[in-house]
Amino acid sequence: MNKNLKQKTKYINPYLGGVLLGLVLIAANFISGRGLGASGAAKSAVVATVETMAPTHTENAAFYSEYNESHPNGPLKSWLVFQMLGLIVGAFLSGIIFRRLTFKVEHSPKITSKRRIILAIIGGVLFGFGSQLGRGCTSGSALSGMAVLSYGGFLSMAFIFGTAFALAYFFRKNWI
Amino acid sequence: MGPLISSGVITQNTNFFLAFLIGIGFGFILEASGFSSSRKLVGVFYGYDTVVLKVFFTAAITGMVGLLFLSLFNWIDLDLVYINPTYLYSSIAGGIIMGAGFIIGGFCPGTGFCAASIGKIDAMFFIVGLFAGILIFAEVYPLIEGFFKAKYLGIPTLSEILGIKDGLVSLGVIVVAMIMFWIGEWAEKKFPQKEY
Amino acid sequence: MKALHYLAIVFLTLGFVIAAIPQNTTHPYKLNPEELLEQVNSGMQYFSPDVIADMIINEDPSFLLIDVRAQDEYEKFHLPGAVNIPLSDLLAEQWRPYLNQDIRHNIFYSNSTVKANEAWMLTVQLGYKNNYVMQGGMNYWAETIMNPEAPEMTSPDEEIAKYNFRKGAGMKLGGSVETELQQTKQTAPALPKIAPKPNKKRVQGGC
Repeated sequence: MNKNLKQKTKYINPYLGGVLLGLVLIAANFISGRGLGASGAAKSAVVATVETMAPTHTENAAFYSEYNESHPNGPLKSWLVFQMLGLIVGAFLSGIIFRRLTFKVEHSPKITSKRRIILAIIGGVLFGFGSQLGRGCTSGSALSGMAVLSYGGFLSMAFIFGTAFALAYFFRKNWI
Repeated sequence: MGPLISSGVITQNTNFFLAFLIGIGFGFILEASGFSSSRKLVGVFYGYDTVVLKVFFTAAITGMVGLLFLSLFNWIDLDLVYINPTYLYSSIAGGIIMGAGFIIGGFCPGTGFCAASIGKIDAMFFIVGLFAGILIFAEVYPLIEGFFKAKYLGIPTLSEILGIKDGLVSLGVIVVAMIMFWIGEWAEKKFPQKEY
Repeated sequence: MKALHYLAIVFLTLGFVIAAIPQNTTHPYKLNPEELLEQVNSGMQYFSPDVIADMIINEDPSFLLIDVRAQDEYEKFHLPGAVNIPLSDLLAEQWRPYLNQDIRHNIFYSNSTVKANEAWMLTVQLGYKNNYVMQGGMNYWAETIMNPEAPEMTSPDEEIAKYNFRKGAGMKLGGSVETELQQTKQTAPALPKIAPKPNKKRVQGGC
């Protein structure tokens, strides 16, 4: 069965993947002086959308005005947005090469697709909120932070993985 | 010499273009390592698949050691590299909320986008949730601004907190990572592999 | 499992190496020795006392005199408008915005040129621009501006013109001993407010 699995998935060796990802991280630091990120790009998209939909609101609310102060060229002209576009293209290319391009809802056989999607939305909301509160997600704060030995990076990593481990038991039916 | 953007070797627009290329590498590696599968990602919390642990920590120690060596040879000035600021309370609270989001949603933002781009519908809904979460944060920001900015520690590194040099910290992290990898390999043998 | 063995060997080796060697805390020097020698030889870092006297009199805002002597020496006497950054304190973070900027010319001076040149050398190696040295230091200043030696009557016209300028400047800037003493009561001028140079800061990043 194990052999079948390998034929079906064709993932690269995780340690090789890790070393390659580390090299990308070094390149980002060497070229741009910063690490990788993901939630920052989502934040840019949210700010840009709200700005278009309700321009007066963004002028008054503190969150948007603080954001615009640090991004004088507009929310979408940011390093992370370009990096995120690349991420989408890169993942798509990998999907083509390893033949994993399919529309599907991946879930444990014990739960329905609907339940999986509701859980995904709840998880997304929590991650979106938490990444703003913690100033960066798994990649932006934990991974990139650890590479530059940032105390905040190690804290994020410990609390993200620690909490997930602690709660894993209660959500086991959704996954196993 | 580095970072190239600080020493003026490249312009801001070149920097954006290179960010796109860096992103391609980032996305490709995440997908190729299996980060586009939520059941593979959360496997680490049940022991049946520790790919997250392996990729994440291998990348972190590679980056860590690589940057220290580049700095040693004066190829990069680490004083110019971005270090995320530490606000103690919001870092911890954010980490806890993200941890809960991870085990419930099965993705983190980077892997969510990655999975959505190869057609995972659950990941697309995760991203919808992600946007909503950020929007909620933006709207309640005035209420939690005090907490958000409390206990600011500046931009300390772990070595400054512990009072030992960077090299020793990274050796420590490498040793810890190797022990975790070893435990991960053991767990994968012990717990049955899932098919997904 | 085999991959983990290789990984462990490679990373533990690298980890021990990076832990064993001393940390690189030096900032990369911006000039190599040859480039520095060329700058020193060209003498481009010097401003003559005449030019400086002229700038002081005209209250030229494009330059800042920096006294790199110790604080007590500065308090005893300093040039009009000069601020005090003792050489021993030169690398303190608070002075970085003043030394590393591209708005004004900073002119270092000390009693002779030794300390001023040391300050200049340090700032050049840190990659800071617009830093200069007052030629001859305070000693030469006193000799030329405060007590200029009258040229002989047979000297060329330009020598005499120079003397007249120095005499005038010296009088205006308080050449005699009594006015020098009055100088001591002057409070140190406030440092001009300037924004630090942006591209020396950390890259802004994060999510």
